Amino acid sequence: MILNGHTTLNLPTGSKRTKRGTFALRLTSMIDMFTILLVFLLKSYSAEGQIMSVTRDLRLPESTSRKQPAVTSIVAVTREWLLVDGRPIQRLEQVSQQETLLIPSLQGELERLRSISENIGGLSASLQGFRGTIAIQGDRDITFDLLKRIMLTCGKVGYNTMHLAVLEKEQ
Amino acid sequence: MNIKQAVRGRLRGHVGETDLNLTAVMNIFLILIPFLLLTATFVRIAILDLTLPSLDQTRERTVTPTSSVVINILLIKETGLELNSPGLSFPALAKEGRDYAWNTLEQQLARVKTRHPKSQDIIISPDDNIRYEIIISVMDRCREAGFPNISISG
Repeated sequence: MILNGHTTLNLPTGSKRTKRGTFALRLTSMIDMFTILLVFLLKSYSAEGQIMSVTRDLRLPESTSRKQPAVTSIVAVTREWLLVDGRPIQRLEQVSQQETLLIPSLQGELERLRSISENIGGLSASLQGFRGTIAIQGDRDITFDLLKRIMLTCGKVGYNTMHLAVLEKEQ
Repeated sequence: MNIKQAVRGRLRGHVGETDLNLTAVMNIFLILIPFLLLTATFVRIAILDLTLPSLDQTRERTVTPTSSVVINILLIKETGLELNSPGLSFPALAKEGRDYAWNTLEQQLARVKTRHPKSQDIIISPDDNIRYEIIISVMDRCREAGFPNISISG
């Protein structure tokens, strides 16, 4: 009986290692997880950082484009407001009710921006002045009618190159 | 007893195999992972370029039309898509359920590309009530089909 008890107490794995004073942690699964996490994070790592910030209350459409944004003024079209560089310009209901395609309030603001950047460019040749580039951040649910009005107004003021902001789609 | 010994032996064998010194690896992981987590950007913004014809007279003169201009026009309607290309006639693409017939559009664009390999221009003309999202995905399809010069016409 005693002998039997002795053998059962002397269990296989534990005793030998505790005698040695070291015991190995089972890290295999943890390392697996870390490796996966590391690969995923390295894949989504970008050294450039974010140049353009997205306006709130806005869901950008997704696209397969990989072109990086540049530093420009931003015309944002949320579900309710039309904004330029974060300043509200006009409510969208009022914009779509207008008879003419040109949006006067947006035109005024863009002309002001244009004159500012032209003045900056005039100060020194090393400073970048007016380049005629503007970014448009539109909610994915806005209609083409609205987009057309905004693009026409931008073109009228002289902003002929438009960058339509989109979210990069995972491929 | 024999079975017990066999099991014991196998277990011990396992322990011996995995007895790597992982301290250095764990140190690297513990530094790298918080660092990468902090700098990770999960939402990346890209842009689609769109250039309107310039209103300045100086620039207008520099634009010289090349002889082999092929103008492809793609209409986006509430009911479907319609591609027009010189020398080719396509039936209008009705919507498939709630979605546009993207696959057929890609086939048609590929046919235009084989017919006019040098052609790079396409004019997209959406209806007024077409959603922005649809326009973007049409532009994506056109660019992927080899028409990078996209113009939008109202």
